[in-house]
This record gives sequence, structure tokens and C-alpha cells, in this order.
Amino acid sequence: MTRRGHLLLILCLGLLVAGVSVYLSERRIKEYRSEQFLMDTLVSIKVYGDDAAALPVAVAAAYGEMHRIAALVDRFPLTGTEECRRSDVCRINAMAGIAPVRVDADTLAMLLLAKKYQELSAGAFDVTIGPVMDLWDFAGENPKIPASSSIVATLPLVDSESLEINEIESTAYLRKAGMKLDLGALAKGYATEKALQALVRQGIQKALIDAGGNIRVLGSNTRNAPWRIGIKDPRQGDALVAIVTLEDAAAVTSGDYYRYFEADGQRYHHILHPRSGYPAHENMSVTVVSQDAGLADLLSTAFFVMKGEEALALADKLGVNLVLVSAAGRIVHTSGLAAHLEVLPGGAYRYDPR
Amino acid sequence: MFSTRRLVYLSLLLAMATALHLLEGLFPIPLPLPGVKLGLANIITLLALYLYDLRAGLTVAIARVFLGSLLGGTFLAPGFFLALTGAVISTLFMALLIKKTSCFSPVGISLAGAVGHNLGQLLMASLLLQNQAIFYYLPFLLLSSIPTGLVTGTLLQGLLTRLKEAGVFAELTRN
Amino acid sequence: MTRGDKLLIAAVLLCAFLGLLTIYRHFVISSDQRFPAQATITVEGKVLCTIDLDPAAGQELMQIAGRLGPATVEVADGKIRMREANCPEQICVKQSWIASPGSTIVCLPGEIIIHVDGPAPVDAVTR
Repeated sequence: MTRRGHLLLILCLGLLVAGVSVYLSERRIKEYRSEQFLMDTLVSIKVYGDDAAALPVAVAAAYGEMHRIAALVDRFPLTGTEECRRSDVCRINAMAGIAPVRVDADTLAMLLLAKKYQELSAGAFDVTIGPVMDLWDFAGENPKIPASSSIVATLPLVDSESLEINEIESTAYLRKAGMKLDLGALAKGYATEKALQALVRQGIQKALIDAGGNIRVLGSNTRNAPWRIGIKDPRQGDALVAIVTLEDAAAVTSGDYYRYFEADGQRYHHILHPRSGYPAHENMSVTVVSQDAGLADLLSTAFFVMKGEEALALADKLGVNLVLVSAAGRIVHTSGLAAHLEVLPGGAYRYDPR
Repeated sequence: MFSTRRLVYLSLLLAMATALHLLEGLFPIPLPLPGVKLGLANIITLLALYLYDLRAGLTVAIARVFLGSLLGGTFLAPGFFLALTGAVISTLFMALLIKKTSCFSPVGISLAGAVGHNLGQLLMASLLLQNQAIFYYLPFLLLSSIPTGLVTGTLLQGLLTRLKEAGVFAELTRN
Repeated sequence: MTRGDKLLIAAVLLCAFLGLLTIYRHFVISSDQRFPAQATITVEGKVLCTIDLDPAAGQELMQIAGRLGPATVEVADGKIRMREANCPEQICVKQSWIASPGSTIVCLPGEIIIHVDGPAPVDAVTR
């Protein structure tokens, strides 16, 4: 081979290598992320895929689903406004004690889910908590401790038995006047799950939805390993108590540190026990890991008001996993999480692996 | 191009190199270092360099990677490009040392080849991954290239001695 | 093995050890005196500014205009917090100091997001 021949060979190889590397880098996985204020929280969606043009379309579809669910469950528009006419929950509440209301299939699904787990949790979770929530006014300017007499007087209105759901007619009815639905404990998770389904329909195979700390992941992370999800330390700023690894699952936490006020040195947070009408005090935080973000959201609230042992037993029975920081500062989790959970050292909590 | 005789011998060498390439793919070294290989196929490339010239060496090295990856099912996969750049750069390194220096035995040349192979691999990997941090891996690969280079070099030295003793060397290099 | 071979082995060994030393020093230095982290403040979807969270720098107060009116951000000791905000629930203020990369403080009504930049140890945090 001549000198020219050598040069030619090297040139060809160089071109091949350069061409291939450009081709491969074009094929590299792309990320698209977007944030929106939605359902009283900041929702962040990250999707990954080869087709850069398809990613924003999929995310728009996901936000569309979340907006749709958010409009269905909005509890506070004024009666008679357009927002109230679009909100199933607002209409059901307005028609309490008067007549059944025809509702969207998704509202029906949420109410059925709520009723089912109200029974399975023996009342630890109740969507008819609305009237008592209103007494505390957590979302308002000046949340306050209500008079115990008014709580006692209001508690009979917290009564899922009096929530009638007709699946055939697709209607819902609160039998007693003054009853109010509050889907706050599951709507965000349900909407997250719906958003994820929208992403899947758009062909997305890798995504992370963070709806104000309700996490739902699709597939594995960008390093093709399980997603690493931190569990917030319930007392320490931005510290973590543990890291859980997930694929195709949701992790949702209920805690006493997010929405609360203090009076007379006592902390009053927004997760009320449906039977007492007062903030539950068994736990600081409960994280539920499940395939379904809606169920995880609902159950994190249910388990939060329960004693640790009861919560663990029910989680095992229902086939979901949980990590719980009890009010006494003990970290416990279901045995199913043992291989997926790393409890971080240095926290002010006691952890005895079971 | 090559004379017919040369072509036949090169084909034999290529067949052996391809077989060794595949064989090595079947038995990875049980080390926590991905990409570390003994480099058995490199023995044949080096043999071609000793018997003939750079052209022959490059032909064996490149054709071996193509054939090996086609047979092994990794053609045009990332590993293929790593192996290709590794093989070409290592052949160039070894040819340079054989031609321009006289102070190295086949062991040293083989070691230089192993180092060149690792350099080429990392260069390609950093291109493919668009990530320069991968060069942090270089010291580990350099360390690993010492034993692998010594082993293949010693094997080649034995091979060359036997070929010469048996008088095959002269036959192989006859034009 | 010739003298040249041995020299070559020594040279490769030397290169490898120099490389290892560089890596070691790089990581030791990067964990000891990391560049100060940075926080990004976003208001109503637009990036307002990026602040160094330098532990050596003193306390710094910053007035920002949220959707509901003014808010005060405080930076001190390499941490950042929402000191005062004009929102009913005060969730952002109660969240207190944050410093680790990936953490955020969100003021919903004011549409203010404070985000500590940098490689986070986790993909997301459930809270």
C-alpha cells in the first residue's frame, strides 16, 4: 500500500468513527422537564425519550389530565359560578341532602376508591371529612383551634355511610344536609396516576412526576437503575431520613410538618382523625410505596392516623409498602421494602430493622 | 495488494485472531473492571507485524474486529467501536515501536499495544458518551494493561521461538 | 525481557500512579473545599437570579416581588430560607433553611421557587 493509501485508510476510518459518534449522540436519550402550579402545589414532570419533539406533547397531555381532575375536585369555588358547575365535588356538596348529582367517571372512580378504603381502614380515612376541615380552616388566613363543642356537633356529618354512590346512574349523593366531600387526601395522587397514564399513551417509557412531593416514576432512571427517592426528615429542614429505590411505582408521604400552625406550644397539622376531628398524633410521617399513586396518596393519609403496628398490619394485608416515622421517633417499614430502602445514619430517629 | 501466498497466510492469521476474539468474549475476566481483557487476539496482530508490516497488521486487526463482532452479534454496537479504535491505535503503537526502536522485546511491544488499546477504547468511549470524566478510569486500565500485556507478550515470545525453531518463520515470510 | 521492557513497565506504572494520585487529590479537594453551591430563585415561571451560597459570606437579605407582593429571602452560612412572605399559610417560611443540592422551597400563592442547584443525591424527594 502506498503512503496515499495509508492516508486514505486513516481518513475513511476517521470519517466512519465521526459519523457513527454523531449518529449515536443524536440517538441519545433526551430530557424534557416542565413545572406548573396546580392543585395547590408545584407539579414537576420530567420525561425521557429519543424523540425530542414528542416529549413536550406528552407532557402537555399529562398536565391536561391533571387540570381536568383538579377542576373536578375543586371544593372552594362559590356556589353557582362556572367553576362550581364544572366541579363535581362542589356540586355534590351544594346538593347535599337535596338530590343525587351526575358525576364524571373519574369522580366516580375516586369516590369508590375512597369508600372502599374507608371500610378497609375501619374509618381511619374518610372523604366526608369536609365539615370538620372547614372548622379548622387550614387553608385560610387564620387557622384556629375550633371549640370542642362545635367539633362534637360537626362530627356526625363525617359519615361515609351517608355517601351514596350509584355506579349505574353514575351519580353521587350526600344524604345529610351540611355534609361535605374533601378529596384532598387522594385527588393529587389520582391525578398523578392519570397524568402518568397519559404519558404512557403518548409512548413515554421513562418519566418522573413530582406533584408536591407525591412521586410517581415510570421505568428506570437515566442511568437505567431504579429511581432514588429521598424521604424527607419530618423535623430537619432539607435532610432525608431514608432513600427508597423504585421502578414503575409511586411513593407518597403524609406528614405533620407541611401544613400546620402552632398554638400554646402545640403543633396542629392538617391531617385530622375522622373520628375525633382532631389532628392525629401517632406519627410524624408515613410514606406509602405502591404501584398506584392514587392509592398511595389515600393510604398515606389513612396510615398516618393509625398506630404504627396497625398501619404495618394493614399495609401487609393490602399488599402495599410503607415507611413510617412514629411520633416517638422510631422508623419502621414493611418487610417488602427491606431490599429497596436505605435508612440514612445521623438522623435523630431510632431504627431497628425487623 | 498482497501476493497470493501472503494473502493465504494473512487469512489464516485472521481466522485465528477472530477465533481468539470470540473465545475471549465468552470468558470475561472476573474483575470489577469492565473492558479489561487479556487481549489474546492482539497476539496475532503483533505476529502479523513481526512477520510482515504495518499494512498486514492493520488488515488483521481491523478485519478481526469486523468479523468478530459480526459473528458475536455486536456489530455496530458501542462495544464494536471501542474494539475498533482500540485495535487500530494499539496496532499503530506496536508498529511504531517495532520499526523505530530496537530496545523492546515482544513483551514490551505487547505491553505498549495493551496501553494503546486502552487509550483508544477510552477515547472512543468519551466520544460516544460525550463525557470526559471517563478518563478517570485510565489509571486503572493502565495498571491492568501491565499483567495482560506481559502475558500476551510472553505467549508471543514463545510462539516466535517455536516458529523459528520449526523453520516455519522463514516459510511464512517468503514472498 | 530487555532493559527497555522493564523501563516501559516502570513508565506505565508511574503514569498509572500519577493518574491515581490526581484522581485522589481531585476528590479530596472537591469534598473539602467545594465551590459554594448556588440557589436559583424563580418568580412566576421566570428566573429572577442566582445566588452563591458561600458559607464564608455573611448574612444577606434580599427583597423580591412575588405575585402576592414582597417577600424576603435570607442567605447565611451557606443556607437559604424564605424569611418573610406575604402568603396566608406561611408554608414556605415554616420550611426554614435549605442547603443541599436538589432541595426547593416553594411559595405557592406567590409563585416563588427557591432551588438549590447541583447534582442531587436522589432523583426526587417525597414529602
